[in-house]
Amino acid sequence: MGALSGIRVVDLCDPKGQYMGRLLASHGADVVKIEPTGGDPGRRIGPFVDDRPHPDRSLFWWYYNAGKRSLAVDIFRPDGAELVRRLAASADVVLESFLPGALAEVGLDYDTLSAGHPALVMTSLTPFGQTGPWAHRAWSDGVGLALGGPMAMCGYDHVPDMPPIRPTENHAFHIGSHFGAMGTIIALIERTAGTTGAGQYIDASIHEACATTTEAGMPYALIEKQALLRQTGRHAAANPTEPWNYAASDGPEVNIFGMPRGDANFLKLVEWADDSGMVGNLRDPELMDGRKRQLGISQDTVRMMLADLEAFIASKPAQEIYRGGQDRGAAWGIVNAPDELLGDPHFHARGFWVDVEHEELGRTIIYPGAPAKLLGTPWAIQARAPLLGEHTQTILRDELALEPQALSALLGAGVIA
Amino acid sequence: MPESSEPPRSETNSTTALPLAGIRVVDLTWIVAGPTCTRVLADFGAEVIRVENQQTIDSIRFGRPHPHGFDPPDSSAFFNWLDRNKKSITLNARHPEGFEALKKLIAVSDVVIENYSTYVMENWGLSYDDLKSIREDIVYVSLSGFGHSGPDRHYSTWGPTAQALSGLTAMSGMPGMPAAGWGYSYMDHTAGYSAAIATLSALRHRQVSGEGQHIDLSQVEAGLVLCGPAILDKTVNDRSYRRPGNPPGNRAAWPKVAPHNTYRCQGDPKPASSWLMITCETHDQWLACAEALGHAEWATQDRFATLPARLRNQDELDALIGAITNHHDARALMEKLQAVGVPAGVVQDLPAVVHDDPQMQARGFTVENEHEVIGPHLTDGTPAHLSRTPAQRRAGGPLLGQDNDDILGDLLGYSEEERMELLINGALG
Repeated sequence: MGALSGIRVVDLCDPKGQYMGRLLASHGADVVKIEPTGGDPGRRIGPFVDDRPHPDRSLFWWYYNAGKRSLAVDIFRPDGAELVRRLAASADVVLESFLPGALAEVGLDYDTLSAGHPALVMTSLTPFGQTGPWAHRAWSDGVGLALGGPMAMCGYDHVPDMPPIRPTENHAFHIGSHFGAMGTIIALIERTAGTTGAGQYIDASIHEACATTTEAGMPYALIEKQALLRQTGRHAAANPTEPWNYAASDGPEVNIFGMPRGDANFLKLVEWADDSGMVGNLRDPELMDGRKRQLGISQDTVRMMLADLEAFIASKPAQEIYRGGQDRGAAWGIVNAPDELLGDPHFHARGFWVDVEHEELGRTIIYPGAPAKLLGTPWAIQARAPLLGEHTQTILRDELALEPQALSALLGAGVIA
Repeated sequence: MPESSEPPRSETNSTTALPLAGIRVVDLTWIVAGPTCTRVLADFGAEVIRVENQQTIDSIRFGRPHPHGFDPPDSSAFFNWLDRNKKSITLNARHPEGFEALKKLIAVSDVVIENYSTYVMENWGLSYDDLKSIREDIVYVSLSGFGHSGPDRHYSTWGPTAQALSGLTAMSGMPGMPAAGWGYSYMDHTAGYSAAIATLSALRHRQVSGEGQHIDLSQVEAGLVLCGPAILDKTVNDRSYRRPGNPPGNRAAWPKVAPHNTYRCQGDPKPASSWLMITCETHDQWLACAEALGHAEWATQDRFATLPARLRNQDELDALIGAITNHHDARALMEKLQAVGVPAGVVQDLPAVVHDDPQMQARGFTVENEHEVIGPHLTDGTPAHLSRTPAQRRAGGPLLGQDNDDILGDLLGYSEEERMELLINGALG
């Protein structure tokens, strides 16, 4: 049983908001993904199984819609919208990501859906929010990260004239969906705690979510009106700082931002380098001050230390540097490709990776597991992402009590699939 | 389509109830990841009580900028931003009477959250089992680098470590160059958001079941979760992300579309705002883009007419577009492209986002806040606007120990004399 078991969700989101419903589904909510009869746009985003594009073979679709059920219906036809209205009438939550105003035109907006159902919580996650001059602007994940502020902090300074860099994997989707999910659950808590049992409407803006997800960039902007300098592989800062990623002997870079604050642990690193014949200036007494070893603040002692550490790191394979550092209290890490922890014993021992049955392919697929382990109410992928329209008929028959003739008529008219 | 109407309700002047009112959080967190989680809870009205001490002061209290000079622990605008709406008490948990006061606080609270190294709470005698014996239905949230189980549980992370290990760093950069990574601790934010979502879900479960629980978050795992399709590409197709061409710079990863890049516009290339992101995800957007750039003919030429052709000839396409954008002001060109429906956005730096962005201004994204040392200042909004019970900015970051009397006295019932004794004995140090 998940923490949100018993919560019924109607999910009208396109790819930018599908992670919201996925988060709720993994906590046990029953999420019905409403998708166009021709398939959700997320089904056209690769990579694909065996590189063969097909609505049921998109790994993007798999990942962000796992645990949901699919109801394929054309909501832009009156009969289709009516089906969704009926489903929403018994739902706790409706999630959507259409351009502002689009759902009102088909009678699926909050005012309509909540009219006879005040307990409804409805969350709209859109690029810029429901209001304002940019509310209807053309948008993509890249444009979102550009306009919102994260991208200006990412890039290079060791080569001139390089553009700011957009971290890939649709993080504007992630950042926005995190806030949409938080707002939704907060509204559910308030609904139960309050005296009226009323739900509410949540206007979530990805633009605002990106802007607030910029760490020190935001206070510098708010208070000092100062932009931080983007710098290769490390934090943007008010001033130039020293690099903190260094290549190991076998190629991958190792991140050594996490230098020990305590002298005892730092000495262990120094002895390790010394034992390897690479101590250089690391025994300099200046380095026996934890604050002077702190990366991200440029100073001569740091430069001296890094010159020797760079040579030391280049002398050993990345795994040895990573584990050797961590074993000595240094929060170091390899700059891995995302798939390179799949074989790491630690995450296996924690049961992080989960097996998901794909009976349509006769395969069991390993997925990343929970962002947080809830030990009382385990997070779970309840089922693989639905095939296109996989649950259309069962939902309409069992939950909306549609007769077989009515189903056939809707199918024949192309209202459902 | 209806014109945009009213902006979201002003969040500072709201007199509505806060949605998490009545939820009390013992906040043992520091640095950024943990405080990001409790910031969300505090913005929405939970009573978040930071338990600090004078020996190990949260390093963010030293974090820049310090607008009126470096005078910690109360002069940091970074701390003020991250820890707004929270309270602060000082307790020395190593002092028996300080520890006793902490246990009393836990006994009247709903959530205990910490982001210490994994052995700390247990060493203090505050494991989940201990916490449960103090408060049966407590929600205990631990944020750590590697989680509280597994052979590497004593390893530790900062945001950049977790970003590196999970793959997020490697997925940001130009092909053939070292990783550009994230220019800040993205994983401190997202570990905090993931913890908040988990905490809220657990609170909702407790509402209906009466049961608390332990939430064990690993920052590295929370990072891996954000790399789903890339990891599935390995587990399904046996294709590692580490291969030539990755990461793709500012070109599209998936869906593969072109043009999709940042293009240099007029002026010095150093400021981010000299670069314009243009992303054509549909054929119509491409037609409109070519025309707006003054080259409608591109759309009919074999080299660019179809998406496969544009992807094949992307170097040439990007060079041609860049040669045009070079002669335009980035913001003016964004407006021109947006007017014909092309997703285009200036790479805005944060001062521009906060102070000059017409959308943010229309939405009232920044609001006034107060702080005894920093003075009146702007703070940012909460991106999820709840129509009936919105988040509110009620206070700046707390001065170190500012709520000792209120919490120890009014809430925990220590008399003035007893509080003085705690102070003299070093229990509040």
